[in-house]
Amino acid sequence: MASLRQGRAHLSDIRPLLAATAWLGALVLVLTHLPLLSVAENRLALGHPVTGLAALGTTGLVVLSLAAGAIGLTAASRRRAGAAAAVLLLILATLLLGQGLGRGAALSLVGLPPAARASLGSGCWLALALLGGALGLAVRRARIPGLGLAAGVLLSLAVAAMGHAGAFDALSLAVEYAARRGTVNAAIGEHLALAGAALVLAGLLAVGLSPASRGQGLVALVLGGLQVVPAVALLGAMVAATAALLRAVPALRDLGLSALGPVPAVVAIAAYLALPLWRGLALALRAPDADTLLAAEALGLSRRQILARIRLPIGAPILVGAVRVAAVQGLGLATLGALVGAGGLGRIVFDGMAQFAPDLMLLGAIPVVALSLLAERGLGRLEAAARRRWHA
Amino acid sequence: MGTRDRKRLRMSPALGFALTGLALAAASHPAIAAWITEALGEPARRPLAVGRLLELARAHLVLAGTGLALVAVLGIGLGILVTRRFAEPWRPAIDGLAAAAQAVPPVVVVALALPVLGFGGPPTLLALVAYGIMPVLRGTAGAIAGVPPDIREAGRAIGLNRLQILWRIELPLAAPDIVETLRTALVLAIATAAVGALAGASTLGTPIVAGLQNQNTVAMLQGTAATAALAFLADAALLAGVGRWRSTRP
Repeated sequence: MASLRQGRAHLSDIRPLLAATAWLGALVLVLTHLPLLSVAENRLALGHPVTGLAALGTTGLVVLSLAAGAIGLTAASRRRAGAAAAVLLLILATLLLGQGLGRGAALSLVGLPPAARASLGSGCWLALALLGGALGLAVRRARIPGLGLAAGVLLSLAVAAMGHAGAFDALSLAVEYAARRGTVNAAIGEHLALAGAALVLAGLLAVGLSPASRGQGLVALVLGGLQVVPAVALLGAMVAATAALLRAVPALRDLGLSALGPVPAVVAIAAYLALPLWRGLALALRAPDADTLLAAEALGLSRRQILARIRLPIGAPILVGAVRVAAVQGLGLATLGALVGAGGLGRIVFDGMAQFAPDLMLLGAIPVVALSLLAERGLGRLEAAARRRWHA
Repeated sequence: MGTRDRKRLRMSPALGFALTGLALAAASHPAIAAWITEALGEPARRPLAVGRLLELARAHLVLAGTGLALVAVLGIGLGILVTRRFAEPWRPAIDGLAAAAQAVPPVVVVALALPVLGFGGPPTLLALVAYGIMPVLRGTAGAIAGVPPDIREAGRAIGLNRLQILWRIELPLAAPDIVETLRTALVLAIATAAVGALAGASTLGTPIVAGLQNQNTVAMLQGTAATAALAFLADAALLAGVGRWRSTRP
């Protein structure tokens, strides 16, 4: 690798510095020219923008110098310690930006009526995206196992502690959350329950469909065909089907089943998740090579033992990978469940859309994205661990 | 197995999807949908006229088609770019970005774009592109990376330059997998256009959302059947249209 690059050494030395300069320039532009906050008379009115340095004051300069130091270290230093220091600096810069935003919001609301709101502007999201991107890059450069996890935990804990201490209280998102704390927390629980139930149902379906060697073509056709049906349409069809079922067997109504509610949503979501799980299971069971299976048979292992000791362990990474794909998909689809009265975070998003209240939409959307990323990262880690454990 | 048999087998998914699509399209006709609704035991009030359904279907196709075209051009173009030599160091970062983008469901993108882009088509189009581009990029990059290196080496040996290797070797060999990726993108585009009804875009999702809100089962069923019909027919058309490329699979 090194010898390949030697011929173009001068280019590969300059390029990271160019990229770092461009990144810093973008951050400066975002913090000086784009609206970081938007101050409005009430939660529905259009606000007037407050740009970065006006909102942040000297904190903005500190954030910029921390970011400059971090990106310089990431681009120029070839040592792990340099990248690790950059990670720390970037975490500090992000926390300071948050603290500055909270204080800027509080200052901009002084003297305004209580209904006035200071919401986060486009510049804020772009600045956070730039900082987050650099953080990811620095973590990768450092190549220290567990650093990404540690950085994520540290950042979340610090933000939670700052929120608890009231650093963000003046931001409209926090005001909205304070007003609906119970609703949001309940919606997160409902959302997880919807996606979890669908995942379990789809898993049972995949296991039930997998052992029969005949008819696998038909299963592939049906599950593949279901993927083509748009989710909105399948949810509608499920509601109609549940209504017809209730009319045919009214006793089900006493069990708490209703045409609008979580049951049709869970069934519809599970219908989509069945394909990745079924496919993953089939691939996982086929993962061990013929020699391994022959050796196991020669050792006198029964079919059940071969399944438990050979097929499942060797196929575990594939299986976990399938669960990861299905879980992320399920968490996203659960958002649409609110359309058929299943609750979840989608209800908050839809309420926000109906009222045209951006903060309310964000209040529903942020947990959806966070949960999906958490599932993706967490199960991705498990997948990698399974791969290391069994395929070393 | 004769060539004829093989051809029939290859055609069969397209044909099956086309027939399913036609059956669903028939089910969305007001008379048939009303009959189904009554068979389900619901009163069939206020079905949508055929003209209105066609108008919605046209708007749906325009929205999904525009989105798919953008996704295909951007996704395949970027997919080719990231497989070039100079982009090698960026591959992990791009893969991470792709995974992160998939974590934001289309309905959330639609919702987040509302304050910026207003109600209607634009937020839906943004969601379509934002959600569709990464799978196509990843699929294209994967397909090109999957081309055996010795074939590429052979091209270089007979004196092809980089562009010729891309055009004459990499793309033709990667085409079947790129087409599969585009099918996924097409299905996503049609589904996302239906979700766009929540943001006020006029698509076949509109009668579904309105029907669920007003308890109008027949309109909801019509929208459901028509949306699914559109998805199956478009997929069948894509399969039939590019079947030639799929057959180049070695």
